[in-house]
Amino acid sequence: MSDSPDTTETEADVAVIDPLEGYAEALVEKVGAIGFTLEFDTVRIHVEPSRWVDTIVTANEDLELFSWLSAIDWSKDVEVGDPVDDVDALEERFEVLCRLSSVQNGDGAIFVATLSKDNPSIASLMHEIPGAEWHEREAHEMFGIDFEGNTHLIPLYLPDDFVGNPLLKSYPLLSREVKPNPGDVDVEPMPAVEAEAETPAEVTSEEAAGDA
Amino acid sequence: MTTPGMIHRSESAVSVELQTPDMTINIGPQHPSTHGVLRLVANIDGERVIDVDPVIGYMHRGYEKISEVRTYAQITALVNRIDWVSGFANEIPFIVGVEKLMGVEVPERAQYIRMILTELARISSHLVFMSSYPLELGATTPLMHALREREYILELIEEMTGGRFHPNFNRVGGVKPAYGGGSTTKKQAMDIPSGYFQRTLEAMDRMDQICKDIDTLVTGNELIKMRTVNVGVIPADKALEYGLTGPNLRASGVAYDLRKIENYLPYDEVDFEVAVREGGDCFDRYVVRLDEIRESVKIVRQAVDQIPKGPLQAKVPRILKAPKGQVYSRAENPKGEFGFYIVSEGGKMPYRLKIRSSSFSNLSILPWILKGQLVPDLVAIMGSLDFVLGDVDR
Repeated sequence: MSDSPDTTETEADVAVIDPLEGYAEALVEKVGAIGFTLEFDTVRIHVEPSRWVDTIVTANEDLELFSWLSAIDWSKDVEVGDPVDDVDALEERFEVLCRLSSVQNGDGAIFVATLSKDNPSIASLMHEIPGAEWHEREAHEMFGIDFEGNTHLIPLYLPDDFVGNPLLKSYPLLSREVKPNPGDVDVEPMPAVEAEAETPAEVTSEEAAGDA
Repeated sequence: MTTPGMIHRSESAVSVELQTPDMTINIGPQHPSTHGVLRLVANIDGERVIDVDPVIGYMHRGYEKISEVRTYAQITALVNRIDWVSGFANEIPFIVGVEKLMGVEVPERAQYIRMILTELARISSHLVFMSSYPLELGATTPLMHALREREYILELIEEMTGGRFHPNFNRVGGVKPAYGGGSTTKKQAMDIPSGYFQRTLEAMDRMDQICKDIDTLVTGNELIKMRTVNVGVIPADKALEYGLTGPNLRASGVAYDLRKIENYLPYDEVDFEVAVREGGDCFDRYVVRLDEIRESVKIVRQAVDQIPKGPLQAKVPRILKAPKGQVYSRAENPKGEFGFYIVSEGGKMPYRLKIRSSSFSNLSILPWILKGQLVPDLVAIMGSLDFVLGDVDR
């Protein structure tokens, strides 16, 4: 509690989103998690990887519906799409996410465990929540994450002889390797961009002519 | 009833126990009742299914990967194609999620148009079920009736959006100025086509009639009941473990409907009931969908009545950039909970997009539910789950 006007304003902001924050705090305490993040009405509960199954089974008592399980590859080596906002500060890791929802009301949370890149492995939920099997198989083939205890970790979508984990950021988009984006030829640059692009291009062509 | 060669001669003197060898049969990937390319490898013992291993992925198009190199505006065109039977409804959770990230307030008229079109998509999707499910059970006539009526709904969707199956009609901040409406030069003048609501209400009257027709053709049909009542019972706890949502979950007695829970469209301003049945068998799953058509008709009628005047599009920047953050946005689609987990790093494209599709989870119960069932019931149970392979494979 500070007296400065700035903090009063932030406290007012916090008061608006209080119900979800209170909910997240109570959930962290109940399941014994590390902490939580609340943004855009989405509650993320950070879980110790060693306590992954325990935590989710405890939370599953109230949040009855197993919604989905997936992962995020936080990587500096980006072949596809934009890199993260601050590449230098990025800690390379996998995040495994599992969403549970209540069927009585809008409650629900996404449980997050952080795995290292060297040996991404976490206990399987398959025996407690059988619906997790397919989701784990998908995360296994797409990211290369090992789910210990999942007895059926065979490819789900990909052919049996497929090499690589396609959803890794370091994995190129194969169709773009084969041929360039067909949409590229149709793109007309904006007038300003065109003017900028033309000037250096002319110089280089003159230089090239001079050299010849 | 067995060939003499099946028992070894040395055993015949001491034992007369008959053995039927287990047989592995392959169903699909091309099969009339699989709604797409699904392959089932089934171990059967006579007429009983011992276990089933569904093989999916024949239609895997890698949307999650492609989305990492597409801008938010381009991704709406992709999400249309996930579950093509209800293309418009797929757009809603994605676009609502992006709007949540960007903090865009959508005008109320646009929200109502979204609600009307989502419900039309729901009716159209359930009419496909009403036509295909009896067909899988051997009744061909309902197909003609239901598909004929669905055409009226598709015409309405086409008239508004320009696309029968893939409308791509939502924009961040609202909906596209309608295809058939108003002047093309003055943005303000563009609105829904004239007389559209009148035609919508006429189509809703037809939907009332088709529900009655299907009732007489299918619901009361003794043969259909023999094939579906007490067949493929899914108890509520199993349904929740496998992440079943939508009509499949509601048929098991769980009144879970995101239209009542999540505040993503103005469903709180219209009056409707959540269709629930207690039994959890194939027949209940069918009845829930039929009831949902009736409820959707109610919603459309009220929405047409209450739709406010105003703009169709909020002011948004020309280049759409979502601020850094992660959001999970979900909506009640015809087939269940459809969600997008959007991870934004502040750029024009998402860093990661996880698609939670309803049919994927609904289908994952297949190995459990088919265990021990009769082979003829296999198709009846599979059909009652109402999945689309595009939605399973993404």
